[in-house]
Amino acid sequence: MFSKSVQNRLKLFSVVGIIVLILVLFIQIQLSKNIVYFYSPKDIKQIQNLPKDKIRLGGIVKERSLKKIENDYSFILTDRSNDITVSYKGILPSLFVEGKSAVIEGSLKDKNFFIADTILAKHDENYMPPEVANALKKNTK
Amino acid sequence: MIGTFGNSSLIIALLLNFYLLFSYSLNFFKKKNNFQKVRYLNFLVTVFVFLAFILLLWSFAISDFSNTAVYQNSHSQKPLFYKISGSWGNHEGSMVLFILILAIFSSLFSFSGVRDNLKYLTIFFQNILILFFLIFLIFTSNPFDVIRPTPAEGLGLNPILQDPLLSIHPPFLYVGYVGFSIIFSFALAGLYLEEFTKLWSKQASLWIVIAWTFLTVGIGLGSIWAYYELGWGGFWFWDPVENASLVPWLASTALLHSNITSMKTEKFFSWTALLAILTFTTSLLGTFLVRSGILNSVHAFANDPDRGLYILAVIMIISFFAFLIFILKFPKSPMPNVLIFWSRGSFILINNCFMIFFLVVVMVGTLYPIFLDALFEKSISVGPNYYNALLAPFVIVLLWFMAHGPLLEWYKFNKQSLIKAILQISFLTLVSSIIIFFYLKDFSLLLFLGVFFSIYLIIAVIIDVFKQKIISKNLARNISHFGFGILVFSIFINAYLSKEINVPIKVGQTIKQNAIEIQFKNILKSQGKNFEEIIGNFLIKDGTRAFELSPSLRKYLQPVQVTSETSIKSTLFGDYYLAINLSEFEGDKIMIRFYHKPLMLWIWISISLIIFGGLIRIFRKQNES
Repeated sequence: MFSKSVQNRLKLFSVVGIIVLILVLFIQIQLSKNIVYFYSPKDIKQIQNLPKDKIRLGGIVKERSLKKIENDYSFILTDRSNDITVSYKGILPSLFVEGKSAVIEGSLKDKNFFIADTILAKHDENYMPPEVANALKKNTK
Repeated sequence: MIGTFGNSSLIIALLLNFYLLFSYSLNFFKKKNNFQKVRYLNFLVTVFVFLAFILLLWSFAISDFSNTAVYQNSHSQKPLFYKISGSWGNHEGSMVLFILILAIFSSLFSFSGVRDNLKYLTIFFQNILILFFLIFLIFTSNPFDVIRPTPAEGLGLNPILQDPLLSIHPPFLYVGYVGFSIIFSFALAGLYLEEFTKLWSKQASLWIVIAWTFLTVGIGLGSIWAYYELGWGGFWFWDPVENASLVPWLASTALLHSNITSMKTEKFFSWTALLAILTFTTSLLGTFLVRSGILNSVHAFANDPDRGLYILAVIMIISFFAFLIFILKFPKSPMPNVLIFWSRGSFILINNCFMIFFLVVVMVGTLYPIFLDALFEKSISVGPNYYNALLAPFVIVLLWFMAHGPLLEWYKFNKQSLIKAILQISFLTLVSSIIIFFYLKDFSLLLFLGVFFSIYLIIAVIIDVFKQKIISKNLARNISHFGFGILVFSIFINAYLSKEINVPIKVGQTIKQNAIEIQFKNILKSQGKNFEEIIGNFLIKDGTRAFELSPSLRKYLQPVQVTSETSIKSTLFGDYYLAINLSEFEGDKIMIRFYHKPLMLWIWISISLIIFGGLIRIFRKQNES
């Protein structure tokens, strides 16, 4: 039906097309597996279905809320509109200070309780992650 | 006073730049070939930008706090070295450096052996880039803005940036990023004049290697810094800022190789041209991401959204016109774009496809969260597993092609010699892998494949070296490829066999885990020039080896901030890495983070080898044969 060169070109295009499709699929699968969503305490108050996967939570570490019970740390993360109690096992980074911002990673037990497995490092004490700054800005409006 | 001079020299540079563009255009439309004036104007632009840069360094060195940039980023108590390096550690200063490198490359290019018409069109395009960034600098981020009244003291530089490696890594990265601008301009000029030929590839190759080498040095220095300063035991975190430098590196590595294919086979010029455009566009995109403040990073200085928008607009305009020229003047190869599959050229192009795939993966991982945030106000982050899972298997396949490409011929295929090479290399690799795994006593499929194929590449390179009559032939390529093999090998071993200990510990106490023993000997206080320091002394025992590590915590006074300084003992087989942390809840205990990182030193050695290969190519005029 087609000439030889057109046939060859069609073959080449379909092979390349299929490879590209497979690669895009790979990227898509890995992306959906490894995405972590960011929430503010206020978001948690408003949502209906609690996220089951690992999430990030960002806000201010409430003043005088940091306690140590046996091997676990406990503190309250707030965005001045909702408070969430966090439990954490591990080492607190030196830039983790009450009254300053923090981003933690872990999972929600219920609407008011969060189990953190990582406290994300930051570079400088006064630095506020843009997500936290945005979340706080939205709440003061 | 200095500010006035600085401002004037920037404005003079801008005017000269205008004059150059005007004078070239006049020449161009009158079809005259008198380029003397353009040549001198080009030098003068460089001189005045250089003057502005020196004046800015001077303001930082003498702590002239009437200058806004100095006031915001420096402090009189800082060591002189950091005062000077602080001048490019902020947005304004880094833009001056950016323009200076654009101009220096433009001046250097005027010495190249390129035909006059092509040369001066390149310089014309380069000066259009200089124009865009000079306007940006002068009107949105002037480094010589004055504060009145003059403050008595500056606000200081983020202490985490006060580090020798970190201070010198931006200039290297910038020479890399911006070095690609001259290849970009040269590519556009070549396309426009329809001179995108074998000769173009030959003349571009040196510039590509120069920029590529500097970019590699910059990325290497950045990751060494991240390793010992951040205190998390890793050297690459898939941070958006790191990715922003990796994307142009991948594009330029593809360009470096496709350019060799174009030069040797006179084919695929359109692909090489596209990569030349892509490399610089991704460099600009990297600059935009890093500088715009939309990333969560220590590098994000520019909080002014206007600046981010301006750079974004510039990137759009530049890439739009570049692609327009590319499409209108699509380069035709003198030969049909067909290669024998089993030839060196086609293997290089296959590796190009890998590079582009890696580039897409890294770009998607970096940009997807930004788009989602901009369009749906959803904040997400992409975990490091995304990159590892997608890149690791493909890197392994890439290694095989990398091993065999150089062993194949350009134009003909000899089946016997390929089969012989495969058998020979596979046998030697299998023997060495078995020995290594016998020693490691640890096994997983991906680790095995990674180790196997990186050794495969190393052995292929060694065989290739011995097959040459003179060792120095193709030395640059062999050293870089050898380095890449060691790099992948070390990264795989390091990723799979690192160990970590996290515990609170008291003075005098000893902790034992497996073969490793950590004894906390004592704690000392000391006083640095602009910080107070608490140093912990630890005795580490691993089998028969015993040595001391002394990590510390520094409290910087301006701005007040605590940083953790790691202490690392490097050996050929692995690093012992210790960092401490204070915790008010532990009473007399200190938290320690201990890592054993196998083959860490070899990661740095292999990056140095890759760079060394680049340097050999720069200093020895010798082409791939």
